[in-house]
Amino acid sequence: MRHGIGPDRTVARLGEPAVERTTDGKELRHANDRAGAIIEVRNLTKKFGHKLVLDKISLSIEKGKTTVIIGPSGCGKTILIKHFIVLQRPTEGEVFFKGRRVDDLSERELNGIRTQFGYLFQEGALFDSMTIAENIMFPIRQHAKVRNWAEVEEVVKMKLAMVGLDGFQNYFPARLSGGQRKRAALARAIALNPEVILYDEPTTGLDPIRSDIINELILKLKRELGVTTVVVTHDMKSAYKVANRIIMLHNGKIVADGDADHIRNHPHPVVQQFINGEVGEDDLAVLRMSGSAGASQFLPRDFE
Amino acid sequence: MIAALGAKAVQDVVDAGRFGRFAWRSSVTAVRSCTRKSTFPLIWTQMFLIGVHSVPVVMITGAFVGMTLAVQAYDQLAGMGLEEHLGVLINISVVKELGPVLAAVMLAGRIGGALTAELGTMNVTEQIDAVRSMGTDPVRYLVAPRLLACLLLTPVLTIFADLMGVVGGALVSFLQFGINSRAYWTFSASAVALWDVSIGIVKAFFFGGAIAVISCYKGFNCKEGAHGVGQACTEAFVASFISILALDFALAVTFKSIYEIFWPIKSIVE
Repeated sequence: MRHGIGPDRTVARLGEPAVERTTDGKELRHANDRAGAIIEVRNLTKKFGHKLVLDKISLSIEKGKTTVIIGPSGCGKTILIKHFIVLQRPTEGEVFFKGRRVDDLSERELNGIRTQFGYLFQEGALFDSMTIAENIMFPIRQHAKVRNWAEVEEVVKMKLAMVGLDGFQNYFPARLSGGQRKRAALARAIALNPEVILYDEPTTGLDPIRSDIINELILKLKRELGVTTVVVTHDMKSAYKVANRIIMLHNGKIVADGDADHIRNHPHPVVQQFINGEVGEDDLAVLRMSGSAGASQFLPRDFE
Repeated sequence: MIAALGAKAVQDVVDAGRFGRFAWRSSVTAVRSCTRKSTFPLIWTQMFLIGVHSVPVVMITGAFVGMTLAVQAYDQLAGMGLEEHLGVLINISVVKELGPVLAAVMLAGRIGGALTAELGTMNVTEQIDAVRSMGTDPVRYLVAPRLLACLLLTPVLTIFADLMGVVGGALVSFLQFGINSRAYWTFSASAVALWDVSIGIVKAFFFGGAIAVISCYKGFNCKEGAHGVGQACTEAFVASFISILALDFALAVTFKSIYEIFWPIKSIVE
């Protein structure tokens, strides 16, 4: 929960960055965020060719908290968190990790910083030519001089036990279900005991029970490892369950930023439409105007 | 139309620059990897996949090249009564040109396609990003071992192709055309020098490097989806094939000049 944010928060209009103020009108977000910020982006702009994906985004991620980034598909959520770990470089703007600017570092310099992150990719991104145990050993092998392999196997067992997959060490990723793959990928993401875990759509494609297992895992890892968590999702049930703070992106800008209650009661129509899963009037109009089934389908007798 | 042409030219220059940077970074990383013990198992694995599995294909290619050369050249030489010199023509052609080039073309299809498809699939399924996210340089982990394995093994595979080309040519000459084997080998030994064999092996070293760098680059930069991976494989093969031919020409000119510098009289006599 972020303190000091009362009901007098200003509501960002579409196309404007969300700025939150205290009752005396003082801009709150930066002062509040920077105090315990572990990640910070300033005026982050990302373009692919002429397509603007992120438009001058400024935000901070608080240490030890769970920040959830929501927004419709294609709004730039994944691109934003890829900037946190500099898997993407900004077109303009700056990215800071623990107060150090990281977006201008070389790949070699970034390697050390990236070991402090765990990244759960949307589809898991497990190495399909390796077993689950080898996948989890991968970052350990890369960054530690292993002398005692029994110890490493013990670590693998422990990490798999944390995600409820102990016993799956010798399975290949192709033999696991979608939920199991995500849990195995999560075990790999926490192999180096990171300070920050980034989850990219952790519940997408899973049934409600498997989704809830992932949500519980996110909470468990935060509780037990004390990590800073950033979750990208469009699953509102998941967002409400795990978030200390929810940020909504729309058309490359932040349109809402606050705790779960703030988002639930947000007056902005785009936010309400998204969290309630309602189709917009414009989209409805397009659907109504498009051809009916009868007009767009042919039967064999039409050609006789 | 002019604007479109200009945009295409600019894009081609950008792509060439990107490839140049990738090739340079891969080469530097590969050289550094030679001194890191942790990379040796990765190189060893790639050498097994690239080298051992390619031996039969390359040997078959070499054998057919030698046999076909014998069949094609016999009539011309026999017409002049020089059929016993058939070995000179076959063996020089095999060790200097056809062995290295055709072995490299076979490897571009077999290894290049596999490398591009593997890395391309890793790219579209975010496995390369996963390597980066865990603080590991994907060029060091994925490209350097493949490049080193190709550099080391393409010359070795070329020796296999040369050997089979020589054997194939000799067998056809002896068994089909009844050429005297003693005369065949004597003329061959007097004409084919260590220099000729070395040229072929050095060429193979460059061909191996070109195949690995092009295939890895195409895999790293392939577009999304099955179509993207397929297209990257096709582009990798075409680009590798053209580079093999271009490199072959450039190296032939270079080695000719070197030969003329060190053995000027012999080259005039020949």
